[in-house]
Amino acid sequence: MEEKLYSLQDAVSRFVKDGDVVAVGGVGRNRSPMALVREIVRQGKKDLHIVGREKGMDFDMLIGAGCVKKVSFALVSLEEFGLAMNFRRKAQAGEIELDEHACNSVITSLRAAAMGVPFLPLKGMFGSDVFRVNKSLTEIRCPFTGEKLAAVKAIKPDVTIIHAHQADKYGNIRIQGSPFEDILKAWAADRTIVTAEEITDNEEVRANTHLTTIPYIYVTAVVHQPKGAWPASCDHYYDSDMEEVKAYAQAIKTPEGFQEYLEQRVLNRRD
Amino acid sequence: MAEYTVAELMAVCLAREIKDGDRVLQGLYSPLPMMACLLAKNFHAPNMVYFNTSDVIDPEPTEVPFSSAGPALQERAVAYIPLWQTFDLAQRGELDLIFLGAAQVDKYGNTNLSVIGPYEKPKVRLPGGAASAHLCAIMDTVIWVPRHNARVLVEKVDFITGQGYLTGGKAREEAGIPKGGPRKVVTNLCIMDFEPETKAMRLVSLHPGVTLEEVKENTGFDLIIPDKMETTEPPSKEELEFMRQIDPKGVRELEFH
Repeated sequence: MEEKLYSLQDAVSRFVKDGDVVAVGGVGRNRSPMALVREIVRQGKKDLHIVGREKGMDFDMLIGAGCVKKVSFALVSLEEFGLAMNFRRKAQAGEIELDEHACNSVITSLRAAAMGVPFLPLKGMFGSDVFRVNKSLTEIRCPFTGEKLAAVKAIKPDVTIIHAHQADKYGNIRIQGSPFEDILKAWAADRTIVTAEEITDNEEVRANTHLTTIPYIYVTAVVHQPKGAWPASCDHYYDSDMEEVKAYAQAIKTPEGFQEYLEQRVLNRRD
Repeated sequence: MAEYTVAELMAVCLAREIKDGDRVLQGLYSPLPMMACLLAKNFHAPNMVYFNTSDVIDPEPTEVPFSSAGPALQERAVAYIPLWQTFDLAQRGELDLIFLGAAQVDKYGNTNLSVIGPYEKPKVRLPGGAASAHLCAIMDTVIWVPRHNARVLVEKVDFITGQGYLTGGKAREEAGIPKGGPRKVVTNLCIMDFEPETKAMRLVSLHPGVTLEEVKENTGFDLIIPDKMETTEPPSKEELEFMRQIDPKGVRELEFH
């Protein structure tokens, strides 16, 4: 096992490239890899294709900051704080390409990539305009029974970014609580960057094998980043910072407000 | 009779759609379905199985969180279950009900959470339909509408994100999605279902104090009106006490401000 500890800056500059397909961990504002998102914004990465099921501030910030060319999603929203306004503005202006899905078709496209197959079949989807407009969904027949199914094209991430609870320096990862699709995303990707609240000793990992959720073979870089999900929550460690999410929701109402937020809270600050 | 808010009434109406033993999934930003699942489990459906977007089974939160995927909604759960495994259950026909919100609902129960206006050049880009394009095609749904008006209840949705009965009649079968469909629509004014032959929306009951005229004026299509009109049963004292105990901060009122 090789050591994979990097600074946040080094991990992003070495392993996130312009034009990459980036799977983003977490759901809503829970265990979102916000420190990594902010670093991607600071480094001005371009033309990313971001992938996730139900996303919030993470997607909205990357889109608003001009890092994104394409979005594969089932929902982008700030939940009770309202619409993800950067997402909305850029989508309405035709400045981002939308690959709109159902939750399970996003997940299935990652499962296909994780399995190393070009597509997987899914029931349902027919009759929805999502199925009609999405070019990565098409109708097939089961070769054995003739059943009509939706084929979902694989989405293979170049890089997956995740925030986890603990990691050792070799990249053995512990997610305590719901993993959402983060494990699948790590399996599917060429590279995976993980920020962790704590760095654990490898001996401690070996003494508690059952606690490892993603083994080092899937992990490219580990960053020690306490509060790396902030202002999203990290189960058992901290809840989401409602004041900060509210401030963000307020700021993104106008492009100027968002720009000001970026300058104050992201560009001129280090995580 | 105890005083109650329309949010509390709606939560109870949604809860009544859950039968004992049902497996029910509550999605993201779903404060009323969250209350409904907890109500059902605590009262008439102790054996229902509660799945949510915190990816757990059967949580027993002491206090409900604002984010319906928040860590507090994992409290005392028996297990974590990744959502994709819950979707696997749905594909196997082993999930009974989901609750669905929408920006537009039409007379055949199709829902739109994608765009207002043309898809390629939308007037308003909405958040997206989350699980709906998949789940609405394979299982039963109940739709909740906190603001019943003619912009939400429309003749035809601009975009079908979640499949209802499509163009009505046998359209679902013809599209290759024979199972499931919307069972009820619960709004701040009334409860509606779908007439079995045409699959068009039909009024079932008016909430206490709401008039038929009010419902008609606020609906963008001709509702089927039954000969016999029911009045929605209000929440019981015990149901109200329970809601106020697990939700002291008023999460259930979020969609009504």
